[in-house]
Amino acid sequence: MIASVSFHRFKALRATSLKLAPFNLIIGANGSGKTSLIQAVLRLRSLARLPLSTEGAKAPRKAGGPSIWFRFTAPHADLEARLECVSDVACDLLQVLPPGSSGWPQLQGEIGRIRSYLLDHYAMAGTAPTAPAGDTVLQGNGGNLGAALLSLSERHPADYAALAAETLRLMPEYTGIELGRAADGAVTLGLVLANNEGVVAADSLSQGSLYLLAILVLAFDPAPPTVLCIEEIDRGVHPRLLREIRDAFYRLSYPQSFGLKRAPVQVIATTHSPYLLDLFRDHPEEVVIAQKHGSASVFERLADRADLAELLKEGSLGDMWYSGILGGVPDEQ
Amino acid sequence: MKVALLSESPADEAVLRELVAAVLREPPRFTGAGLRARGWPNVAQVLPAVIRHLHFNTDTDTLVVTVDSDDSVVHVAAHEAPNYFHPQCRLCQLRAVFRQTTKKLPPAHGRARVLRCVGVAVPALEAWLLCGRDPAVTEAAWVEGQASGRAPYSRAELKWRVYGTDRPSLPYEIQRATEEIRRHRSDPRRLEADFPGFGAMARDLRENREMMARGEHLHR
Repeated sequence: MIASVSFHRFKALRATSLKLAPFNLIIGANGSGKTSLIQAVLRLRSLARLPLSTEGAKAPRKAGGPSIWFRFTAPHADLEARLECVSDVACDLLQVLPPGSSGWPQLQGEIGRIRSYLLDHYAMAGTAPTAPAGDTVLQGNGGNLGAALLSLSERHPADYAALAAETLRLMPEYTGIELGRAADGAVTLGLVLANNEGVVAADSLSQGSLYLLAILVLAFDPAPPTVLCIEEIDRGVHPRLLREIRDAFYRLSYPQSFGLKRAPVQVIATTHSPYLLDLFRDHPEEVVIAQKHGSASVFERLADRADLAELLKEGSLGDMWYSGILGGVPDEQ
Repeated sequence: MKVALLSESPADEAVLRELVAAVLREPPRFTGAGLRARGWPNVAQVLPAVIRHLHFNTDTDTLVVTVDSDDSVVHVAAHEAPNYFHPQCRLCQLRAVFRQTTKKLPPAHGRARVLRCVGVAVPALEAWLLCGRDPAVTEAAWVEGQASGRAPYSRAELKWRVYGTDRPSLPYEIQRATEEIRRHRSDPRRLEADFPGFGAMARDLRENREMMARGEHLHR
């Protein structure tokens, strides 16, 4: 949906552009702008909810201040969205070009369906405080994991069955997902151990199990977002399961490869895992390196490296990244 | 024969299990969970440790290792000459790792060493899966393409031909790979002929079986 983003003086992203693919894995040092990219997308979503007629900025803005430009894929390729900022971190004005475009209301709706995740296993381990009243979307921290699963099971049983089957394939020590309601109406979640050994409640599940469950909820969402931003997709997951994590997000970005007939979800994901990066050897066009030079960063597509084929003869992508050959590593004194 | 597998993925491992059974014409016993490496050159890096582990900590008879050749030098008959070693040939490299590692090991579990079984899929395992299905996909065609500078197909194209996508899910990849390789279950000779990189692996396996039948692998 988003074709490209251009940054001008936005935090560490002083002057850089990035063309976005259906799936984008962003790697780079801490503070290199990976999260800033996601924040920019979320700021676009927030400002797009406001009527453009009330776009006037209240705070004075200096000429040449921070700005972010978005371009979009068809059928919105003729539209541009420009965020202007009053400071390096606060963007409060959205301009859509050309003004008065008839395509804006549709694009506005699609932008409104952008979602972002920074999963938190402490939040996921608790009981979901509210019972689902409708289709329950997984919260940004995964805090309503149980409620999202219960909603899916009640409203989309076929999708839930597929999710449950995938869960048990990835975690064969379990034989089922157990959802229930506590006396106060909150939703409880547990996984049923094989051999009748009992149920492991959410607050006793491993971090990785909770992250896997949450990612599967996203992957099997019958009404997925248009763009899904997610930080640290490898977190808590055993390296041998990273292929499954990648595939869960590929299911969103390339539904036709999974026999699904729905619109692709554009995924923007970050990682610090060389092992996960190894899995993108055949698709370097999906990897973006945030290159930090001092306090400024630029984005580079891995596929744009002319010597990539030669490098891959010598070692894995993860090893090349860690070594510093690909860049995207912390500065050292 | 007790066989251990070192592969890059569960899909590769599923294929190797089928191929080992096809070559030996009997279901072998496999050593526990599959051992994994993260592609080339990680396979060569972890191989010495894997050999030592299997030698000292298990009763494994044979370790089967396969890698994709990618764009590396393909193993040819000239490489089989005594004491010949091509530094860019992955089959030569893996055999050298076996040789160097096992010669330093004292006997363990009643045998002198873990026996070697090395194969190289040219250019990738999906080529083996297409053997007999697509006559244009052979090791010779790839070598000819390397010589002329015009590759007859790419790794991505091979994936498309096998899976209908270059981003298959792991279960689907295992399902399709198993379906295709089972065509060779009763007779792997076509695969051996079209892909000498598999033929080398099959030859190793048969020689190991014969060596074991003669008791030559035992420490005396």
